[in-house]
Amino acid sequence: MKEKQSEKEQHQQRVYDSIFGLLPSIDNPTPLVRVRKLAPNPQVHLYAKLEWYNPFGSVKDRAAWNMLQDLEARGELSAERGIVEPTSGNTGISLAGMAGARGYNVRCVIPNRVPEEKKTLLRVVGAELDVVRDDICPAPGLGDGSINIAKTHAKASAHKYVMPNQYENRLNLEAHIRTTGPEIWRQTKGQVTHVFVALGTCGTVSGLGTYFREKNSNVKLYAVQPSEGHDIPGLRNVSQLDVSALYDESLIEEVLEIDYEVAYQRAAELNRQEGLMASPCCGLIFEGACRILLDVQDAVAVMIFPDSVLKYASIMEKHLWPQIRETEQ
Amino acid sequence: MSDYANPEVLVSTDWVAQHLKEPGLRLIEVDVDTTAYDAGHIPGAAGLNWERDLNDPTQRDIVSQERFQTLFRNAGIQESDTLIFYGDNNNWFAAFAFWITKIYGHQEIRLMNGGRKKWMDEDRELTTELPAHTPSQYSVTATHLELRALLPEILEIASNKSKPLVDVRSPDEFTGKVIAPPNLPETAQRGGHIPGAKNVPWAKAVAEDGTFKSADELRALYIEGLGLDPNQPTVAYCRIGERSSHTWFVLKYLLGFKDVKNYDGSWTEYGNLVQATIERNSS
Repeated sequence: MKEKQSEKEQHQQRVYDSIFGLLPSIDNPTPLVRVRKLAPNPQVHLYAKLEWYNPFGSVKDRAAWNMLQDLEARGELSAERGIVEPTSGNTGISLAGMAGARGYNVRCVIPNRVPEEKKTLLRVVGAELDVVRDDICPAPGLGDGSINIAKTHAKASAHKYVMPNQYENRLNLEAHIRTTGPEIWRQTKGQVTHVFVALGTCGTVSGLGTYFREKNSNVKLYAVQPSEGHDIPGLRNVSQLDVSALYDESLIEEVLEIDYEVAYQRAAELNRQEGLMASPCCGLIFEGACRILLDVQDAVAVMIFPDSVLKYASIMEKHLWPQIRETEQ
Repeated sequence: MSDYANPEVLVSTDWVAQHLKEPGLRLIEVDVDTTAYDAGHIPGAAGLNWERDLNDPTQRDIVSQERFQTLFRNAGIQESDTLIFYGDNNNWFAAFAFWITKIYGHQEIRLMNGGRKKWMDEDRELTTELPAHTPSQYSVTATHLELRALLPEILEIASNKSKPLVDVRSPDEFTGKVIAPPNLPETAQRGGHIPGAKNVPWAKAVAEDGTFKSADELRALYIEGLGLDPNQPTVAYCRIGERSSHTWFVLKYLLGFKDVKNYDGSWTEYGNLVQATIERNSS
């Protein structure tokens, strides 16, 4: 165990020098798992890319690691100067987990409506939390909220904090050009025809859109989002898209708007019938994929499942069994 | 293009940046998010917490005259100072503080046009340093309770339609589809509006950058569009009285309405009244 292993050997043996060795790359992709019983059409190979296999539990590991490495390379971080970031949970958990292991502090500004599990997890991984009244996904430009509180800390306490700003940082998008896109291409042996993603910061959709436009412009990219008034953390409704700096409409085949209550039902079905620990966001994407793929022949479709259901137990209960809450209260 | 009726009540972020160190001028930040001031504020600005400082701690009421006086004394404010309020959410609670400070008779008050967000969007200086001021002997010498509507007057207006009522909440709150905006507490038992009220959401008065719309645009909205008359007494309300302070400010100072009141009891009071009739039609 004393000899230095190559990256390939580390992945073969699943033995790593540190948690950072587990971060995804073309040689260590997150798994693609085929959806069987619930597939909308037997002519379609429908795969879920399980991003909760990332070491800090979500697709956000990719953007967080890219942004953190950049800050380190530019000498922006030290034991005295950490990170402040607005988040609906996942990016904060990734950043705080990584920063803790590297020796930096993290302060997260989070909307009050985000599930308690995520707030608790953020505290567990060492983030200092500011909980503010805001939309369930921090939205740039719409008001003051989480993003401007984080910007305030970065400006007024610049000696203590730097803000990666996932909502405007091109490194968020670039992480998917460098890792997620090539992973899907290799995992499907270049046969991918459809990709389904949700919209939050829009880093995943724009990164994959940029990658596939270059690699094979026939790959159709669909963005799925919840209906207005939703409570799915981290997602953005279509009415808020014009303020997302990373959003590029030209990269997307179609934006699908799904009734958010359906997302909870579909997530439950994926958990019960496919053994996939799908979060509400995965349920939303799955519903979008089913609608598009119903009548499609010979497709190889990939859904980016950003995180698992474990952080959403309370919100799943609220939607699936509202009577339990009422009885207990 | 015509000017605002009282243009002196607004100052720009540029003007504040140039004058913020002038003696006799005091900046005061008041936010919906009461943590925002501590995170960072304009250098020299004092911070007021709307929940703690601007409301009575034991009854549902605005801060008492005595507590208001103590608050201003502790902040070192003089009667002759020019106060500039600013805050988040397009100056919701800054306008609420402006309204209360007018009730307690302070003469020179301004709003920073565009509020906290515009200051930040322009990447201007922020600090966590708290201003140090020697306590003053501030004294409230006159009150203007005519700026405030209380329930008996509202009940009379609801029955007789004697004055226009402007409901400045969102259309969904107005029709009762929701009781409060999505991220704010539901403080009434049911949704709807006061009989006879007309709905003009407060945000229609602001431009995309958060500054107030031009006098012509505001006139088109409230006078030509809604049929309000600057010479007729008018009352504005919302959920708890902060958004309606914003519209009260627009009507009274930017459009020069002679008699405008803010009903701060608002839907939180009226929506909970036993035996009070409400309406749910759209405006």
